[in-house]
Amino acid sequence: MIGGVFIYNHKGEVLISRVYRDDIGRNAVDAFRVNVIHARQQSRFPVVNIARTSFFYTKRSNIWLCAVAKQNINAAMVFEFLNKMIDIMQSYFGKISEENIKNNFVLIYELLDEILDFGYPQNSDTGVLKSFITQQGVRPITREEQTNVTSAVTGQIGWRREGIKYRRNELFLDVIESVNLLMSQQGQVLSTHVAGRVVMKSYLSGMPECKFGINDKITVDNRTKNPLDSTNINNNSTTNGSTNPSTTTGTTTTTKTAIAIDDCQFHQCVKLSKFESEHSISFIPPDGEFELMRYRTTKDISLPFRVIPLVREIGRTKMEVKVVVKSNFKPTLIGQKIEIRIPTPSNTCDVQLLCMKGKAKYKSSDNAIVWKMKRMGGMKESQLSAEIELLPNDKKKWNRPPISMNFEVPFAPSGFKVRYLKVFEHKLNYSDSDTVKWVRYIGKSGLYETRS
Amino acid sequence: MRNMRGDAMRGLAVFISDIRNCKSREAELRRINKELTNIRQRFRADKTLDGYQKKKYVCKLLFIFLLGHDIDFGYMEAVNLLSSNKYTEKQIGYLFISVIMNSSTEMKQLIIQNIRNDIQSRNPIFINLALQCVANIGDKEMATAFTHEIPRLLTSGDTIDPVKQSAALCLLRLHRTSPESLQLNTEWTARIIHLLNDQHLGVATAAVSLIDALVKRSPDEYKGCVNLAVSRLSRIVTSSYTDFQDYTYYFVPAPWLCVKLLRLLQNYPPPDDPSVRSRLNECLDTILNKAQEPLKSKKVQHSNARNAVLFEAINLIIHMDCESSLLVRACNQLGQFLQNRETNLRYLALESMCLLATSEFSHEAVKKHQETVINALKSERDVSVRQRAVDLLYAMCDRSNAEDIVQEMLTYLETADYTIREEMVLKIAILSEKYAVDYKWYLDIMLKLIRIAGDFVSEEVWYRVIQVVVNRSDVQSYAAKIAFEALQAPACHENMIKVAGYILGEYGNLIALDLRSTPMIQFDLLHSKYHLCSPTTRSLLLSTYMKFINLFPEIKQHIQDVLRHDSNYRSSDVEIQQRAIEYLRLSEICSPTVLATVLEIMPPYPEKQSPLLVRLKQKKPLMEAENNSEPSVTTTTTHTEDVPKFAETAIHLNQQQQQQQQQNGLLVSFDTIESNTHFGESTSYSLPSTITTTETTIQSSKKFLFKNSDIIFENDLLQIGIKGEATKHILRVEFYYGNKTNFNLTNISTNITLLDELESELRLNLEPIKPTIDPKAQIKQSGTIECLQEFRDLPKINFSFL
Repeated sequence: MIGGVFIYNHKGEVLISRVYRDDIGRNAVDAFRVNVIHARQQSRFPVVNIARTSFFYTKRSNIWLCAVAKQNINAAMVFEFLNKMIDIMQSYFGKISEENIKNNFVLIYELLDEILDFGYPQNSDTGVLKSFITQQGVRPITREEQTNVTSAVTGQIGWRREGIKYRRNELFLDVIESVNLLMSQQGQVLSTHVAGRVVMKSYLSGMPECKFGINDKITVDNRTKNPLDSTNINNNSTTNGSTNPSTTTGTTTTTKTAIAIDDCQFHQCVKLSKFESEHSISFIPPDGEFELMRYRTTKDISLPFRVIPLVREIGRTKMEVKVVVKSNFKPTLIGQKIEIRIPTPSNTCDVQLLCMKGKAKYKSSDNAIVWKMKRMGGMKESQLSAEIELLPNDKKKWNRPPISMNFEVPFAPSGFKVRYLKVFEHKLNYSDSDTVKWVRYIGKSGLYETRS
Repeated sequence: MRNMRGDAMRGLAVFISDIRNCKSREAELRRINKELTNIRQRFRADKTLDGYQKKKYVCKLLFIFLLGHDIDFGYMEAVNLLSSNKYTEKQIGYLFISVIMNSSTEMKQLIIQNIRNDIQSRNPIFINLALQCVANIGDKEMATAFTHEIPRLLTSGDTIDPVKQSAALCLLRLHRTSPESLQLNTEWTARIIHLLNDQHLGVATAAVSLIDALVKRSPDEYKGCVNLAVSRLSRIVTSSYTDFQDYTYYFVPAPWLCVKLLRLLQNYPPPDDPSVRSRLNECLDTILNKAQEPLKSKKVQHSNARNAVLFEAINLIIHMDCESSLLVRACNQLGQFLQNRETNLRYLALESMCLLATSEFSHEAVKKHQETVINALKSERDVSVRQRAVDLLYAMCDRSNAEDIVQEMLTYLETADYTIREEMVLKIAILSEKYAVDYKWYLDIMLKLIRIAGDFVSEEVWYRVIQVVVNRSDVQSYAAKIAFEALQAPACHENMIKVAGYILGEYGNLIALDLRSTPMIQFDLLHSKYHLCSPTTRSLLLSTYMKFINLFPEIKQHIQDVLRHDSNYRSSDVEIQQRAIEYLRLSEICSPTVLATVLEIMPPYPEKQSPLLVRLKQKKPLMEAENNSEPSVTTTTTHTEDVPKFAETAIHLNQQQQQQQQQNGLLVSFDTIESNTHFGESTSYSLPSTITTTETTIQSSKKFLFKNSDIIFENDLLQIGIKGEATKHILRVEFYYGNKTNFNLTNISTNITLLDELESELRLNLEPIKPTIDPKAQIKQSGTIECLQEFRDLPKINFSFL
């Protein structure tokens, strides 16, 4: 199990050091600094083994987070924990920075005491943590509150406390996908996959039980056999904002075919036994925001943009680059925050740029041309041409790194659809139709690259 | 404008401080990329830059390079800076090219041309910059390019002293890196030597270093330097320290020059000219006298400088090795140092004394300090000093004090540092053998040594003990007696068991009459240790037991039981198993007379250089020359092979066609009884010639006891060779078929037949061969033979061709 957690600043100074087990000594702190932070060669591995001690680390802005273990522990679990810890800290004090960590170190130690016990991860739900680790000073706690906290921490449903009441029962669903692509010069897809997340924000009274339906291939196939279910969420989400509240029930057009999900995982509130047996996703949601599920698909991905590069080397001192971008989605939709990054050779002296749309700039510090467009409609195309002047250099040949792209589009490139989300609350007597539900789809770029 | 920015290079300062302020590696990389693009823009061919700007950007590039990034441009600009007339610009240019040397030849020619211009210029500062650069780069091309310029600078009358100094050192550097490409005119020789007499001490110091290197290259050419060096030395030594203002270091006049001159003189034998010689002796005398004077300063630098000169003088005295008075004085001086509080001094004193001990003049003088040295051995805290003390004791040992010294070393061995134990053991062994008057004393010491040092006794040491015992018949019974006694100790080191086992096996009969050591008692005592030993010792002990069968027939039954025991007869160790089986058979089959011949006492070893000295030299490659003048007592052969040979003779005399396993595994004997060779040109006639070679069978099968490859069959037409390599029970074989005729041999087929039982005992796996052999050519067939069981018969090869 995790023997200790350290947080370093960019210089390798220790900001937070919490040791959970005796097998981790003080020298482990220095070993990591010497071998990773101050290493001559930048370490490219997320796990480093020094003197039979494993160091699992991630870096956020200039801060290093490192978990240490002497035993052979589940690395995926450790990284899950580290990411969770970052989430918790962000929800408590915003951005992770050296200053914020220094200002909140008492809080961080308190959190670390709570979320790890003798190295074993404990309840790390932000909502629950916030109910008893507060940022205000000590205030008298009533007996009732105290029992609430106890039952929340020790009870069966640790992620939700009882007695929550809202005047308006409302819930938001965000489907956030990131598309990864590697395309050859000729436009052949070399590899592609989508990593998606469903994030839910719930403001529901009592202890509601929810049922969530998606257009997963297996569920859809099941459903065609017993068509008893009715969907009640409108499927066509149009703009990048929220969809209309889905007050209309019934009439659903089974759009598109179902998608094949390669693998998925759920928040702890989802009843896995029911998922195994009936393939239905049912759960009692935590209050507030949480990540309901994560999934990954590799088939039938609709790529929102296509980059067509054209590189021509003229002699030893000149190079011409032409890049065409085509958007490949419904004309009614608009893509946003588009940024295309075109690497330039290391012996570039000067770059002349010409683009039809947006703004392009040569960033010498990154050795790249950065072309930014605020928005771009569907089925459009735009072009940039650049003239690069080079200093003659016979030593190295330029190996042409791929052109990468960033964007945001208001649909799910994998074809993921939310079919329904039903809410049942037996005690408080509000029905499914009384809750207001919002669905939003966001497609983002992951590593979206085209070889030039 | 120019005056305003001056030489400050603000841009560089800003850049460096930017980099220092970077929060992360990535930020630093971004800043550098930005700057590199900027510099590239500036350096573009169509832009013109003034010297200041070039200097600034070249500096930035240099800084980026020193941060560990690759620089692939800017060389041209740096070379341009070389031709600038401003000192700072030139300096930066030189700095850049000596740090980032481009290997491209065109650039190099340009650089060399620039350097040449500077060397030929009249400005001494520029010349020095150029010389520094040449010395920093100092490669072959530089050496060839400036092989004339630099000596000319060095010897010409109108170069100023600092330039001469640099030129001498630059030349030295070129000489060190590529002596072959540096051609020095003989006409320079005299002038270079005369630099020793230069007014300027700095020039003289630089010149001595150069001359020292040149002397090593061609001693005869520079012989003239001896006189000059002696006179220079005497001038320094006899003058007072106030005469050399700048070159006096803590009241010692020019210590570096002195040391270098003394070193230079060590390249030559003592001067022949009596006047020079007496002058040199005077100098050395003065140096020794000065060492007696009270210290002029309490500072450690003063004593260090003075002692440096003194030790170098002593080294010279030892090197000359002719003035007994000086040697004795040096020895006394060193004796004083032995008690000094400085550990370094004690170390150096012991080291120099080691050398002194080898000289015939001072040997006696050194011996006076024996007590002190032994004390040092006991009380010294520093291990390296103790090591030196051991060396010195070893060097000063002779017949008169050998017993004491060996005794002292033995006592010290028990507490000695682990790192020097093995060496000490060797030294004790050598000394006790070399100066042994009474070999009984030698044996006592050696057995004690093995008892004390145990693990640190190397193989050679105990081999040597046995050799001495075998060669000296007068101590054999004594050896048997004390070996037997040593074995009685409850805990015996394995080396002791080996020695005792060997000696008892050879000479156990000499003490058998004593009731305390009857054959049975000897055997029981040895066998009680048997199970605690390693396989090699066990196999040695098995040989001993076999010898016992010969020496004491009455316990034969007993020993056969031991050999027959499963732990030997079926031991997992091949060597032990083989010995047990062979010895058992030998003892069962042979008559006592045959046994007596087979198991005769080992003959004396031929006398050769002691392997111990060889071993000691291996341990210390820089061992002093003394070992070469080693006196006679030594004897030897490679004793290691003794034991296996023993086993082999047994088989040889046995004359039995039993199955044999060699040390490393199985051996298959090949038989070529029926090689049906058909010869003919298909049409005209055929001559079936059946050659039976029964006699080769035996020969060849026996040959393979001793080697892995041989020719098994040969006639006018054909030659068949075999090569085998055995791993455990599998023999990897290669057959070579050679065609000795001038025709192609066609339709070749080979067939190895396994008769009767052999089929279940061997498994063959051979690859097919090509059907033709070209004239005078050879083909190869490889495969494996696996031994499944013991076998007696031999496989047969049928080889046929047209």
